[in-house]
Amino acid sequence: MTVTDQRVEPTPVKELARRTLADREGALAWLFLLPSVVYIIALVAIPFGLAIAFAFSDVSAGDPSFDWAGMVNFARAFDDPVFWRSLGNTFVFTGVSMVFIVLLGKVLANILVADFRGKWVVRFLVLLPWTTPVALSSISWLWLLDSIYSPIDWVLRAVGLLGKGENMVWLGEPGLAMTSVIAVHVWRLVPLAAVILMAGLVAIPRDIDEAAKVDGAGYWRRMLEITIPLVAPVIAVSALFGAIFTFTDMAVVRVLTRGGPNDATQVLSSWAFYRGIDGGDVAGGAAVALFLFPLLLAVAVGILRVVRRIEVD
Amino acid sequence: MNEGVPRVFGRPRTRREVLRAAAAAAMAASVGGASACASEESPTVDPGATGKEPEVTFAEPATKLSGDLKILLWSHFVPSHDTWFDKFAQEWGKRVGVNVVVDHVDQAQIPTRIAAEIQAGEGHDVIQYIATLSQYEPSVLDLKDLVDEASSRWGEQLELCRKSSSNPSTGKFYAYSPGWVPDPGNFRKSLWEPVGFPQGPTTWDELLTGATEIKKSQNVQLGLGMSQEIDSNMVLRALMWSFGASEQDENERVTLNSPETVAAVEYMTNLYKQAMTPEVFSWNAASNNQGLVAGKLSYVVNSISAWRTAQESNPDIADDTFFVPALRGPKAALAAQHVLYNWIVPEHATGADAAKEFLLHYTANFASATYHSKLYDFCAWSDLTPDIGDWLGDDPFGAKPADKLAFLSDAVPWSANIGHPGPASTAIGEVFNTFVIPNMFARAVRGEASPEQAVADAERQVSSIFDKWRAAGLVGG
Repeated sequence: MTVTDQRVEPTPVKELARRTLADREGALAWLFLLPSVVYIIALVAIPFGLAIAFAFSDVSAGDPSFDWAGMVNFARAFDDPVFWRSLGNTFVFTGVSMVFIVLLGKVLANILVADFRGKWVVRFLVLLPWTTPVALSSISWLWLLDSIYSPIDWVLRAVGLLGKGENMVWLGEPGLAMTSVIAVHVWRLVPLAAVILMAGLVAIPRDIDEAAKVDGAGYWRRMLEITIPLVAPVIAVSALFGAIFTFTDMAVVRVLTRGGPNDATQVLSSWAFYRGIDGGDVAGGAAVALFLFPLLLAVAVGILRVVRRIEVD
Repeated sequence: MNEGVPRVFGRPRTRREVLRAAAAAAMAASVGGASACASEESPTVDPGATGKEPEVTFAEPATKLSGDLKILLWSHFVPSHDTWFDKFAQEWGKRVGVNVVVDHVDQAQIPTRIAAEIQAGEGHDVIQYIATLSQYEPSVLDLKDLVDEASSRWGEQLELCRKSSSNPSTGKFYAYSPGWVPDPGNFRKSLWEPVGFPQGPTTWDELLTGATEIKKSQNVQLGLGMSQEIDSNMVLRALMWSFGASEQDENERVTLNSPETVAAVEYMTNLYKQAMTPEVFSWNAASNNQGLVAGKLSYVVNSISAWRTAQESNPDIADDTFFVPALRGPKAALAAQHVLYNWIVPEHATGADAAKEFLLHYTANFASATYHSKLYDFCAWSDLTPDIGDWLGDDPFGAKPADKLAFLSDAVPWSANIGHPGPASTAIGEVFNTFVIPNMFARAVRGEASPEQAVADAERQVSSIFDKWRAAGLVGG
């Protein structure tokens, strides 16, 4: 037996350290998580903590010093008729928007996964409303819904649905104003829901659908008994996103109506802003804004429970 | 050879020039649309007018200055003002050894910006806004010394500016208010002449009669907003004051729920039914300007900026637009100030001395501000604009007829501060910014509540706001 003298090359210290770090999954996990954790703490946890603190204080726009005020800001909010109107509007805004976001998102997702010529152009166009800055798109809608110069009114006049010189005044009638706000919000969020649902649709194994086809199942039967049950958890997730984005959104309301006419489109988030920043009552605004939290928490918990039940089934 | 080169406005233009002009026009239109009031391009001075641009004066500061001075102010509705102001501030800085930085932002962003800077404890040394900044009283310097110095130099400050920058309950001048802007009625002469009011309405009754007839005979509506925006806030207060109603008395006690307020609401309900359409509930701050310039409204209440815009963009409409002072009601003829300049110096400011000296220099040269704003800005110390009567009587910027603005020489007696007859307190600011008054009118006009109920509900909201700020020691009564 011959023993050969095999010299082992020493590993450079740097490489060793790198390899060691690369091999330590726990450390790597924290390293990769760190930016998200810092982000969440800085931009979510701290503002949330501040909102809670402010809601129990007398902090105003001009006086940042903290003095304990107990429940007085909540009592004032509950005494305020605009708060209750905003709360009701928030539920209407969120509920109606969610239904349309999920329905239209599903329809759009089906179109996006279909194979046809020019698919990429259609996908690009579909995503545009989501990628356009909300302030910009809302200002475009402000013009489209203008009381005098609305192009939508021009079209309605051209097809004879409106008389000469007649206008819908989209943002001046309470019902039409809420409809307009919901429509613009749905227009913005449908692409997001569609992309989420598209991911769910693509993940369904093709052989299930093909097997159903072989068994003679038609389009609607496959859709209702195979596709929708399989993507139900994803639908719930898109509904959750839609609900949270809608519940906390004030951009569309601020640009289109500023809560008007006569607070008919005022929602909790916009009322919190007007009261807290424009009105100078930061503590009062924080109390209104904080009211969103338990409602959002209940919505999130409810939807996630449904998802879990679906997955278990 | 100019083949293929389009002719635009008289001379052949290259394609690039046309595209640039189109882009500039689109940008101007978008900016104008987003502004609270319309704005116009660079000033065109009428060479035949007698008024001349005032000379800038300079006085040495009381103390040696150094360091930086960071100024934040609005983007003026008349852009030529900002061109002048930026150069004026820089030149003052060079002479006194201060590095001046001027930032302009859209007026709607300023309250949010101030709140952020005060919470952060850093930012600009001096900040200007176009309405009262009473809500920031606890975090800004008392500028009584500055007001006293200005008053000792130039006489008594205009009362509406004083009441919009000081708090009688605390005795503090939370702001310095060197100027303001009147808010007259704007009417289309060609519409009002056929209905028997060639000089426009002078009373609220005449407004009802004339506007009703114009709507019937010419199908052009009246434009007084009842929306959640600043111009609605202004005109509805003017109506209330003219009927003898107000949100508070001079001692800051809430007085909204009164027969006079109910009468004003009933009048507006009638006026709406006779002469307006639901569009007034949807308006933003630019809507009445746009409607007037487009020839779609018979009468609006606004500053002269929309008309100045029309001078450039639609001269025929501009020539047909005339003005009237505040309309007379059963008790008074009053209009709210359209813009009220409030300058504050936050406690965190490092250049407070420079800020105060600059504000004195700016006030001393307010005639230049008036001139470069095309007679938009009015001074709180009338002696500082001795030529204003000549300018208004013979407009240097091309009014037809040249004396169209002459009536503004007497604007002070028919103008009042927000909160009149009391001060523009923090409570008044919150009532203003949460649109309690426009919503009170809108509810009754739309039939959602009787005038009595709408007024009673609004008073409850106003009282709650007053109680809160009174408890904080910022409101008297």
